[in-house]
Amino acid sequence: MIKALVVDDEFYAREELIDLLNGSGEVEVIGSCQNAIEALKSINQLKPEVVFLDIQMPQITGIELLSMLDPATMPKVVFVTAYDEFAIKAFDSNAFDYLLKPVNIQRLEKTIVRLQQQRPAVDYSPLTQPLLELVPCCGHQRILLLPPDEIDFAYSDQTGVHIASGELLTTTQLTLKILAEKTPLIYCHRQYLIHPLAIREIKLLDNGLAQITTANGGKVPVSRRYLKELKDRFGLN
Amino acid sequence: MDLILSLLQQLSVYLVIAYLLSKTPIFMPLLTLSGGWSQRLLCYGIFSIFCILGTYLGLQVQGAIANTRAIGAVMGGLIGGPMVGFFVGLTGGLHRYFMGGFTDLACMISTTTEGLFAGLLHAYMIKRGQPEQLFRPKVVFMVMVFAEALQMMIILLVAQPFDQAFVLVSAIALPMTITNALGGALFMSIIEDRKVIYENYSTAFSNKALKIAQRSVGILDQGFNNQSTSIIAQIVYEETGVGAVSITDCNEILAFVGIGADHHLPGTPISSSYTREAIDEAKIIYANGYDITYRCSLDHNCRLGSVLVIPVLDGNEQVIGTIKLYEPKQKLFSTINLSLGEGIAKLISNQVLSGRYQVQQNLLIQAELKLLRAQINPHFLFNTLNTINAVIKRDPDKARALIGHLSQFFRRNLRQQSDTIPLEEELEHINDYLKIELARFGDRLTVNINIDPALLSFKLPPFSLQPLIENAIKHGTSSLLACGNITLSSIIHPDHIKLVVTDNAGNYRGANKATGLGLKIVDKRLKNRFGQQYGLLMSCEPQQWTNAIISMPLPSTIQNNKSK
Repeated sequence: MIKALVVDDEFYAREELIDLLNGSGEVEVIGSCQNAIEALKSINQLKPEVVFLDIQMPQITGIELLSMLDPATMPKVVFVTAYDEFAIKAFDSNAFDYLLKPVNIQRLEKTIVRLQQQRPAVDYSPLTQPLLELVPCCGHQRILLLPPDEIDFAYSDQTGVHIASGELLTTTQLTLKILAEKTPLIYCHRQYLIHPLAIREIKLLDNGLAQITTANGGKVPVSRRYLKELKDRFGLN
Repeated sequence: MDLILSLLQQLSVYLVIAYLLSKTPIFMPLLTLSGGWSQRLLCYGIFSIFCILGTYLGLQVQGAIANTRAIGAVMGGLIGGPMVGFFVGLTGGLHRYFMGGFTDLACMISTTTEGLFAGLLHAYMIKRGQPEQLFRPKVVFMVMVFAEALQMMIILLVAQPFDQAFVLVSAIALPMTITNALGGALFMSIIEDRKVIYENYSTAFSNKALKIAQRSVGILDQGFNNQSTSIIAQIVYEETGVGAVSITDCNEILAFVGIGADHHLPGTPISSSYTREAIDEAKIIYANGYDITYRCSLDHNCRLGSVLVIPVLDGNEQVIGTIKLYEPKQKLFSTINLSLGEGIAKLISNQVLSGRYQVQQNLLIQAELKLLRAQINPHFLFNTLNTINAVIKRDPDKARALIGHLSQFFRRNLRQQSDTIPLEEELEHINDYLKIELARFGDRLTVNINIDPALLSFKLPPFSLQPLIENAIKHGTSSLLACGNITLSSIIHPDHIKLVVTDNAGNYRGANKATGLGLKIVDKRLKNRFGQQYGLLMSCEPQQWTNAIISMPLPSTIQNNKSK
């Protein structure tokens, strides 16, 4: 059985696809989400083998979601769309799998057969953005979409990835690796990213360590390894 | 006593000349206090002549001349100002000086002084903001009395020997004061009459012109054809009171109203040579029936005796037809109608132009609307089909209802041809649309509609409201992670009504390509229908709300209810 996640912002669209997939006997739907931010969380938690991903969704589209996933651990993706000329062209030219709504059963069976075959991982980079416009964050009872330039620093611990923006401290489903690749944030420690523009002061400590104070008063440790990179960056050597 | 009578006799001649002159256009500038150089120069010329005339019409008395010279100088000063008064007085005075006599110098000085005095009074009145006082015969009378007293004093002071001067003054002072004061007052009253007649004429002219313009607004919007021109011809006929009015294009009569309508029939080709000439040479032709004869080319018994033919031009100065005013044989063309004719032709030209502009505007809007409707949003269609697909299994009745709404929605989109529909019908269209959207987004979209029932029959252009709702969903609430809310409500103001679509997304950021065209068309069609002060207004509080407000005039049904 293929473990699948269904992502669509319309209730009936999710229900219909879940019915069809479960009815095929080859796929087990392990979860469904109504937007990309929920999807990010579910992908990280449930680790589905395949994601059936709608494109038109509020705030973050299915295609933008791809940029937020780590290619190394990314599930297979089947795009589902009612009508999106531009995206369909891109799918066709890159041989990405996609379904059109309303979903045709014969077409879905073909997709399932392809999913069962052992195929090399698909490279979605033609669709992904080099930089993220918004970083989705979850606070208590609310979802925040932060422009990357408003982030002071980010760090990871056992409970996840946290983001500090001014007074605000929140968590995100994005990994530090993705944040480092797709935002202006840079590593200053194995578990810390800092926005270069947020640095107010770098205080050099003993044994080659340092501590950054941000414009908003936050303290961020700098490890020996990244201090050199930081110094190089600011031309301090 | 004899002197008074003789002087009054001379005055009569003087005033008759003034009266005759007042009938000529030369007099026109004297009716205003414009103060322009040409007016001053003309004042100087005319009143200098009267000043000299006053001397010539004077009577020899004891080696001096009893006269009405002062009238010219004082009138010149009152109407022309200090400078004119001074020079008129000086001119008249110099002329008198060269005629000799023992009072020659005294007369020159006194006349100049009188002119200057009246001129200073003119300046004073203007400064006090009471220029109309200068035209009052009573005022002129007083001024003349004072001026004559001044003159008598100067004669006593300047003329030598004093004894002789004293005798002269005691003989002429009373007669001259009476005559001059009376003459000045009468002269001013002639000018005043002219002014009144002229102003009456102007008012009558402007009234007629304005009435015609007012009544004919928008009539030619449908084009320069039989129907529109016959309405215009009727208006011109009623307002000018001429014998008959005809409007032609370059080939045939389009409309004819008035005497001779029995044989001047619309649709018949142009037969009059005057009309042909007016069209071919683009010039106004006036056949007054005397030196230029006019004879109806259709019927020898036609009662029409004179005609004014004015070409009607389009924007490129091309003749597109003529308007013809007729008078019957025993009646003369009034000068008002002669000058009005040209204005009417110009009015028609402008109306035709604006009409063409309107037609083009309408065509453009229709074309844009067609384009918009042709762009059936495929995303909407396929998602809806997908929804129905899912609903069929779960709730077949609901699926059937949804298909009904979808069909009705598209049918209306394709069919809507009429200019206006009742608000009720637009709300039905919105209902079909919303039933589908609520099925798609029901779990995260709520809609409240709160429209005053009194407005349901109000007529508005179709697709004025539905695109605003669609816009609020497509570019507003559908981007919300939380629940979307859309409100449609009505507000009745004392002089207009507003329909407001509010969403809680607050995504509107000025017109862009995606939303701009649809909203622009809504605005344009409302303005086109109701006038420039109405239309669509967007406002937004980012992340909070977006308001789309359409304003329209208050429907008459509500006005009536209110006044009851």
